[in-house]
Amino acid sequence: MRAPGRQHNAGPIVSARGIVNQFGAQVVHDKISLDVMAGEILGIAGGSGSGKSVLLKTLVGLHRPNAGKVLLNGEPVDEVENAEMASLIGVLFQQGALFSSLSVAQNVMFPMRQHTDLPPEQQERIAAMKLALAGLPADTGAKFPAELSGGMVKRAGLARALALDPRILFLDEPTSGLDPTAASGIDELILQLNKSLGITVVVVSHDLTTLFTVCRRVAILVDKKITVDTIDKLMHSQQPWIHDFLHGPRAQGAMNARKHAHGNR
Amino acid sequence: MSTPQHSTQAGPSPGVAVTGEDEQLALEGVLDIRTLVAAQTALSRWVRQRKSRSLDIGKLSEIDTPGALFLCGLRDKGVELTGVRTEHKSLLDLICGLDLKPPPKPVTVPRWRHLVIQLGKVAEEAWHDALDVVTFIGRAANATGYALMHPRSLPLPAISRQIAETGLSALPIVGVMAIMISVVIGYQGVAQLRPYGGEDFTINLVAVSVLREMGVLITAIMVAGRTGAAFTAEIGVMMAREEVDALKVMGVEPMAVLVVPRVIGLMITLPLLAFFADMMGLLGGAGIAQAQLGVSPVQYVDRVHQAVDVSDFLVGIVKAPVFAFLIAVIGCMHGLRVRGSAESVGKETTRSVVKAIFLVIVLDALFSVFFEKLGW
Repeated sequence: MRAPGRQHNAGPIVSARGIVNQFGAQVVHDKISLDVMAGEILGIAGGSGSGKSVLLKTLVGLHRPNAGKVLLNGEPVDEVENAEMASLIGVLFQQGALFSSLSVAQNVMFPMRQHTDLPPEQQERIAAMKLALAGLPADTGAKFPAELSGGMVKRAGLARALALDPRILFLDEPTSGLDPTAASGIDELILQLNKSLGITVVVVSHDLTTLFTVCRRVAILVDKKITVDTIDKLMHSQQPWIHDFLHGPRAQGAMNARKHAHGNR
Repeated sequence: MSTPQHSTQAGPSPGVAVTGEDEQLALEGVLDIRTLVAAQTALSRWVRQRKSRSLDIGKLSEIDTPGALFLCGLRDKGVELTGVRTEHKSLLDLICGLDLKPPPKPVTVPRWRHLVIQLGKVAEEAWHDALDVVTFIGRAANATGYALMHPRSLPLPAISRQIAETGLSALPIVGVMAIMISVVIGYQGVAQLRPYGGEDFTINLVAVSVLREMGVLITAIMVAGRTGAAFTAEIGVMMAREEVDALKVMGVEPMAVLVVPRVIGLMITLPLLAFFADMMGLLGGAGIAQAQLGVSPVQYVDRVHQAVDVSDFLVGIVKAPVFAFLIAVIGCMHGLRVRGSAESVGKETTRSVVKAIFLVIVLDALFSVFFEKLGW
């Protein structure tokens, strides 16, 4: 508990009920419900155009659904105050969304500057710590986003998302566009943050290796509906798309990675 | 999974308190980004003591990463942390284990030197810019000349599209602006000349200044803002999306397919627009003459006929293709300068418009002197 009214309950920390999203005549989500438990890593998967990113935007309150409601920590998402929102959730956007006019360190300090009254030296120290936590070398802080490689942009975006120690981290395609080494680096980082900081993580991804190695439960969007279960159970799903998704030629390597990462778990 | 540092704690406001005495202090409450400064102030003097000292953090219900960083800093200064809860241990281990080298400090220079350095940079940039402009004008003139010499290679569809885009849609705004300008000149003329009884010469003033200068100048400035910016943005986006690179590897010269049609198109459009602006300017003058001087439109035409010569019109209109060439070339040049990001498209567009308008006005001044010397 870090502020009044933020008591931690054992139930779901994010809870979506009866979400309907449609654009014109095209229905993307048809009354879907989803619970994210505190402390878990939940994956959201689905084919291209299945509405993964829209769902993520709905969960963080950037997109208002046509029907249904989202509760963040028990409070309707559109009623959470700005400052509270900032310390409750952190979002890593697909392209990083780093402010291009600010250096990486300034990007990380930006939320601190807005929502805390820490002295600047302190902010700099904390920003350096966050960058190190995200696995970036110390000299990255002085660089500008345009000078970073794809993997570094994701790490810097992650450092900024972590700036106020949020309780929930939303990651939109954290490994897309990265080489396999950089991608597994991000996977490890997600696992480590979840373990050591106890952060709840919601990962939108169609990278099977990421889903298999970091997620305990996965929500799969198919045909406007959502199926949420553990990977082991989803493996036995009869739904054709889910079956193809989890048993395709690319799934085998991902499954091996999962065994490698989890040992006998 | 559990959330170690978010365990429940009773109490209305989260805060941090220091208890205990002398070498053995204890922290209570929540040590996070909000309470960090309070904890730091409370402990600042105590930390500087030489004696061996210990800090009990067992009563802290919650620690976040900045808090852990602070505790790690204390540990580095020789404070022994005792009573660490198991759920906090992994966090402390993680944060203390981070290799936190201070980032290399950027070299700072005194203010006056900074000023000199900046001046030098700007001068060098301006010099390179001037070279670039001259080079690009040469290359574009070469490519355009080549295309005109080989009419078969002329990209006629592209040229006609450019004419439609840059010309037709600009008619309303150019027309309105020309009328407005002649109204402005007319009013000033009447006001200034009336005391001398020469307000009738306002018609000469409006007709000559619109035909010789204002018509073409206003059109060129408008087109530089409208079309020059569009050229930079169009080509710039193509650069940013690697479309221009795609052209190059297909063996197509970007100069020939992107620059030449725009240059030729604008060189056809701008004189026509300038002519249109001249006519609208004279129309505006007719309105002023009617309203302020009581001169009927028929009389007005007669007066204009006496006041201006064909050379006045030619002096104005001959400048139009030159301005057009300049605007198109500057627009395309800045478009091709875009590197990488979308941010750079915006920057180059601004530069292109500023430079085009600046050069148009400078060139117009030179033309004025030139025609004056020729006695036209």
